[in-house]
Amino acid sequence: MTVLRRFGTWPITIRLALASAALMVLLGLVASQQVLSTLGRLQDARLQEYARLHVEGLTVALGPFALHKDVWEVYDTLDRARTNSSGERILFTVVSDERGRVLAATDPLRAPVDSSIADFTGDAVPVSEVTAANGASVVRVMAPLTVQGRDVGQVVTELDVSDLIDQRRNAALALLAGNALATLTLALAGYFVVARMLKPVELLAHHMGEAGGAPHPIPDDAIPRSDSVLARLLRNFNEMAGAITARSEAERRLAERERFVSLGRLSSSLAHEINNPLGGLLNATDTIRSYAERPEVVRESADLLDRGLRHLRDVSRAILEENRVDRSGRRLSAADFEDLRLLFEPETIRRRQRLAWDIGCCDEALASLPSAPVRQIALNLLLNASSAAPEGGEVSLGIRGPDGVLDLAVADDGPGLSDSARARLMSEAPVAPGGGVGLRLVRDLVAGLGGTIAYDRSEGRTEITVSLPRRGAGSC
Amino acid sequence: MDRRRFIAGTAAVGALASPALARGAATFRLGLTPVFLDNDAVVIERLRSAFSEAMGEPVDLIQRRTYQEITASILDGSVDAAWICGYPFLQHRDGLSLLGVPVWRGRPLYQSYLIVREDDAAAGLGDLRGDVHAFSDPDSNSGFLVTASDLARMGEAPERFFARSIFTYGHRNVVRAVAGGLTRSGSVDGYVWETLAVVEPSLTGRTRVVARSEWLGFPPFAARADRAADAELRRFGKVLLGLDATPAGRAALDLLFLDRIAPGDATLFDGIAARMAEAAAR
Repeated sequence: MTVLRRFGTWPITIRLALASAALMVLLGLVASQQVLSTLGRLQDARLQEYARLHVEGLTVALGPFALHKDVWEVYDTLDRARTNSSGERILFTVVSDERGRVLAATDPLRAPVDSSIADFTGDAVPVSEVTAANGASVVRVMAPLTVQGRDVGQVVTELDVSDLIDQRRNAALALLAGNALATLTLALAGYFVVARMLKPVELLAHHMGEAGGAPHPIPDDAIPRSDSVLARLLRNFNEMAGAITARSEAERRLAERERFVSLGRLSSSLAHEINNPLGGLLNATDTIRSYAERPEVVRESADLLDRGLRHLRDVSRAILEENRVDRSGRRLSAADFEDLRLLFEPETIRRRQRLAWDIGCCDEALASLPSAPVRQIALNLLLNASSAAPEGGEVSLGIRGPDGVLDLAVADDGPGLSDSARARLMSEAPVAPGGGVGLRLVRDLVAGLGGTIAYDRSEGRTEITVSLPRRGAGSC
Repeated sequence: MDRRRFIAGTAAVGALASPALARGAATFRLGLTPVFLDNDAVVIERLRSAFSEAMGEPVDLIQRRTYQEITASILDGSVDAAWICGYPFLQHRDGLSLLGVPVWRGRPLYQSYLIVREDDAAAGLGDLRGDVHAFSDPDSNSGFLVTASDLARMGEAPERFFARSIFTYGHRNVVRAVAGGLTRSGSVDGYVWETLAVVEPSLTGRTRVVARSEWLGFPPFAARADRAADAELRRFGKVLLGLDATPAGRAALDLLFLDRIAPGDATLFDGIAARMAEAAAR
C-alpha cells in the first residue's frame, strides 16, 4: 500500500517505463506458458508414441509366452530387449499373467516371479495418458497383453523422462532469461521514448509553477512544431497563463479601488460632516463683522471658528490618511481606530444608528500589525454592518487582544449575511458577478495576514470576528 | 577369448535350422542342441567347416531347441547323428549307438553344478526349498536329472520342493536366470559354467556354486543303432575321433575348450543310469 502510494509520486516517465515492463512481464508469462504447454504437448505425444511402440512390440513378442506362462521366455525376451535397446528410456518392465501374478521382470529382484503386479500398477497410466508434465522423472505405463483378443496378462513399464523434464526446465530458464532481457530492453527503450514524448508535458508542468505559484508562459521557441496537438495545447496554456495574469492584475486594481469606494460610500456623510459646521462658522464671521467693537463677542466667535476649523481639519486629515495609509508602512495604533471612528460615525448618525465603539487593547499589542490592511478590514466590515443594520439599529466594533491574537469583532442587528455574501467572505469560491468585492477584499487581506474569520448569527445579531496573529505574546 | 567365440543367444536358431529341412543327397546332417551348445555363429561355422573338410562332403548342423526334439530327429532319421546328453542316450539306449565322447580337461567326464546368486547364503540343496529354481531341460542330465535324483534321495520331487521350477532350454540361460535374479537357484552343466567363467566371467561372477555332483559321462555323439554300419556314419565316427588331428578340427575344439573326441564306452554313463534309477524309483 505504501509502495503503491509512493509509486504514484514517481515521475511519469519512470512510472510508464515500469508499467510497460510489468505488461511485458505479463505478456512474457503468458507467452512462456503457451510455449511450455506446446512443448509439453509435443513431448507427451513423443513419449506416448514411444511408449505405444514399446508396449506394442512387447505385446507381440510376449503374448504367446504369457499365454503359456513361460517364465523363462518372458524373461529372456525382456532381458534381450533391455540389452538391445539403444536409449536408456526404459528403466524397468514387468509382465504378469491374467491373474496379476508376475511372470518375469527386467529386474526380478524388484518383481520376483509369482509376486503381485499390483505393486506397480498403482500409479501406472495407460499409454494414451502418459505425460512428463507432472514433474516425476519416472513414469509408469501399463498395457494389457492380448493374444487373439484374449487377455493373457499385463505389462507395466517404467520410463525415464528426466531428459524431457530437463528439456522443459531448460526451456523455461531460457524463456525466463530471454523475457527478462527483452523486458529490461523494452523498459529502458520505453523510458527513453516516453521521456522524449513527455518533454512538452514536462515543459508545461515546469511553467505551471510550483504549488501556489502563478503560471508563466512558455517561450515560443520552446513549443515543438512537429506535434500540432501538443503545440496547440501549449499555445492554449500560454493564452490561459496570460488570462490569469490579466485577471489577477484586474483584481489587484479592483482591490486598490475598493478603498476609494469605501470613502465614496462615506462621501455624503463626510460632506454633511463638513457642511454642517460651515453654517455655524459663517454665522461666527458675520457676528465678528457686526460686533467688531465688542471684544468678548469677537473672542467667543473666534473660539467657535477655531473649534469648527479644527474639526474640519481632523476630518480632512482622516480622509487624507485613509487615502495614504497603505503606502506608509505604519504600524497599527489606537489613533487608527480614532480616525476610523471619525470617518465612520457620521454614517451611523446619518442613519440614526447607535455605534458602540470599544477599543479594549493597548498600543503595544496593536503595533505588531500593519496599519493599512487592518484599517481596511475594519472599515469594510463596519460599512457592511451599517448598511445591513436597519435605520435606528445598532452597529458595534470591539477590539480585544488575548494571547497572541488580535480579535476584531464587528456586529450589527441586521438580517445577517446572504449566501453569496458569506461565500465572498468565507470561501475562495469565485466571486459571482454583480456583487461587491468589499467582503472578498476582507477575506484576501485576512488571509494575507495569516488570520481567520468567524461568522456568528444569534438572537438577531450578526457578528463577524477576525482573528489576526500577533508577533509577541503580550496581551491587553 | 570372448563370449562370441563360445555362446550367444538363440537368434540364429531359425536361420541355421531351416536348411536341414531340404536335405541334399550327399549332405551329412549332424544334430546339435542349444541346451548344451549355444548357437554362436562362429562356433557353428568352425565346426561345420571342420566336419565338412574332414568328411569331404558338406555337413549340415541341425539345431533344435530341446533334447527331446534332437533325440526324436535321430530316431526318425531326419538327422544322421547328433551331439546329445548322456541322459537321453540312456533313455534310448537300445536305439542308439555311441560314436564318440568329448574329452574335457583330460577326461570324458563332467559334473552338474547347483548354483545360486553370488550373495545368496544357501549352503546346499536343502536350503532352497520353496523358492524358484531353473532347470535347463527335462532331458538334461546335469540340468535336471542330477537335481531331481538328489531330491528323490531326500524324498522330494522338484514340483513339490520348489515353489516353481522353470526350464530355460540352455545351460547359459540357467546361469542368466540365476545371475539376473529370476530364480534363486539353478541346475547347470559344470563344463558350461566353467567355460563361461573363462569367457564371460561377469555372468558367472554373479553366481556361486553351492554343490557339485560326482563326475559323470560327458554328453556323447550318437547315431541310430541300426544305421551304425552305414559307411557314411563309420566315416563320420573316424572324423570325430581324428578331429583334433586336423587344423580346422583343432580350432573348433579349441573354441569349445575340448581336448578331443574319444571312443566311448557305455559304462561311462553308469553314474547317470544310477541317478535315473533313483529318480524313477521315487
